[in-house]
Amino acid sequence: MTRLPDPTVQTAPLLAVDDLRVSFATPQGELRAVQGVSLTLERGKTLGIVGESGSGKTVLSRAIMGLLPQNGVTQTGSVRYQGQEILNAPNKELRRLWGTQIAMVFQDPMTSLNPVQRIGHQITETLKLHLKLGRDEAKETALSLLMQVGIPSPVERYDAYPNQLSGGMRQRVIIAIALACAPRLLMADEPTTGLDVTVQAQILDLLSTLQRDREMGMVLVTHDLGVVATRTDEIIVMYAGNVVERAPTSVLFSQMSMPYTEALLRSIPRIGNPSHTRLQAIEGRPPNLISPPTGCPFAPRCPYAQDKCHREKPPLVEGAVPGHSYACWFPLSTQSAVAAAGAGAGGESA
Amino acid sequence: MTELTEIGGPGEVATTVGSGASPTDADADAGAGADSGSGSRSGAGGPLLAVDDLFVSFTRGHNTLQAVAGISFTLNEGETLGLVGESGCGKSTTGRAIVQVEKPTSGKITFDGADVTALNRNDLRHLRTQVQMIFQDPISSLNPRRRVADIVAEPLTIWKIGTKDERDAKVNAMLESVGIDPSVAGDRYPREFSGGQCQRISIARALVLEPKLLVCDEIVSALDVSVQAQILNLLEDLKREHHLTLLFIAHDLAVVKNVSDRVAVMYLGRLCEIAPSDVLYASPAHHYTEALLSSAVEPNPEVTRTPVILAGEPPSPINPPSGCRFRTRCPRAEARCAEEVPQLRPIAPGHQVACHFPIGT
Repeated sequence: MTRLPDPTVQTAPLLAVDDLRVSFATPQGELRAVQGVSLTLERGKTLGIVGESGSGKTVLSRAIMGLLPQNGVTQTGSVRYQGQEILNAPNKELRRLWGTQIAMVFQDPMTSLNPVQRIGHQITETLKLHLKLGRDEAKETALSLLMQVGIPSPVERYDAYPNQLSGGMRQRVIIAIALACAPRLLMADEPTTGLDVTVQAQILDLLSTLQRDREMGMVLVTHDLGVVATRTDEIIVMYAGNVVERAPTSVLFSQMSMPYTEALLRSIPRIGNPSHTRLQAIEGRPPNLISPPTGCPFAPRCPYAQDKCHREKPPLVEGAVPGHSYACWFPLSTQSAVAAAGAGAGGESA
Repeated sequence: MTELTEIGGPGEVATTVGSGASPTDADADAGAGADSGSGSRSGAGGPLLAVDDLFVSFTRGHNTLQAVAGISFTLNEGETLGLVGESGCGKSTTGRAIVQVEKPTSGKITFDGADVTALNRNDLRHLRTQVQMIFQDPISSLNPRRRVADIVAEPLTIWKIGTKDERDAKVNAMLESVGIDPSVAGDRYPREFSGGQCQRISIARALVLEPKLLVCDEIVSALDVSVQAQILNLLEDLKREHHLTLLFIAHDLAVVKNVSDRVAVMYLGRLCEIAPSDVLYASPAHHYTEALLSSAVEPNPEVTRTPVILAGEPPSPINPPSGCRFRTRCPRAEARCAEEVPQLRPIAPGHQVACHFPIGT
């Protein structure tokens, strides 16, 4: 609370990332994990970042948080939190933001908690440090937080150790810790991966409710298009370190333009389909990020790829719908328009 | 046993594949010596595997944890049975008990006419040529110090099948059929492969002895969706090619539906419901199945289900609720559910449910 940005930048978006590039020095060469990502997030909105393993989604979220190690990592571009540049900021400065302004929920609820400290202590620790609460006050707040995240009999759980709780309960505790100091931005990296489906539904609902009540901005990083389909305002699809498509959620699902997004969606088995429906797998593997191909990173696996795709890397361009952009030389909408025109049906995708 | 015949009854799937399965019978000679009681083997299309009142318990200090508490089902030749449930429901333990990695506390597991729980050491070794298992973590289930070709060849070497050249040819053919180029991959080590490729190698190793039954325990849950689709398609192809019978254990409802002919739902060590997969997903009869289905997420913003949010967490299997084990979280629970254990009973052809008040009645 000590360093609120001055009024001139109050109108700046909650989070603005511009041309962020992250690379790691490896013995084999420079691994370009994030290759120029830009995004903005307003207060009270949820942004989904979707991609497969190795797409750079986790590195991106950690770079935004400032959690990547200093050695062997090069980060360029800009990450502004409410107008304040925080990329490559010293830890001392970041520590003021962590917890009170930006908080993160990590993937693995089993290892994110300290196994030898009681739950209560792990929550009050943040409260005492950041909000300078006294012991009794902190305990009271912690109990109310445990209640808010839906932990039954919080008074007993307060004195429990993490190993006495189930995975779902631990993830609730982690969410309680993240929310303890009322952050404005919550980064959730695969918050429900590894949890059972019934528990996943509970945790996602909990996050949505809390986000709405507190008007937080939330970034939901996941590999599962199902998780982001109904719980985000905007989605970014990542592939091999690049943003390949960005759109408001409903637009992405109804008018996707990037063949990778389509392929990803088609490879998912659906509950609504009959048994033994042949899945449309994406053949091949994502490219090596140490020596990425010169053209479109998805071209080697793309069913629509043409010569140009292998030669030149497509930039992220704005589509017809506001807020929709994609990185593809031959986007799907134009292809279907061509097909439709060929069939004499007329192109409606103007 | 009356229930068992009920399940095995509708044999459309079994009979069509049963004839196709006969070529493998000839290869099964290795196991024939083991199956001393194989004279009682049921005819083509009959159940290949019958699990009857299976219990598996673990002792922890003074506590006994019943991971599997009395489940019965059959698996017909050529069929894929999906086994779904949340973590801790006993689905993996069931699979491990079938391949005899875990010793059942009581109950009977009949494979191909022989009771596998009563087999001696030697006969059990022979059983393992017929029943193979593939595990969740593809990387740690391969020996990191051995070359891929050796890993796949090991079962053949152990059983001294064929000459060295014949074994090499078989390994190469097997690797090729799972989509791994043996000339490139054979001399490499598992660490040089991605998760999806390691899972392909695990599948090749499991199939190299031409088993009849394959137990797949969460084999795609560690993989990306695009790779998951590749492996699921591969499994369907291999199943047809090798006339396999599959027990497919997974937590992902959509994945299970995709591969299974029938699906069994487990909760806290017991079976809730078994039905042909299209029936189970369209009209679940057990309240737990309904809750599971409603909480599944779909990659479609148009699908807005109102999830049946279950109250609380699964109870501890060390001290399970009396009567129906689901009653503490069930929206329909009544006094009777606490007193009487609901038995699995047929409500429609091939559809069985263990509930006093099933949905739709």
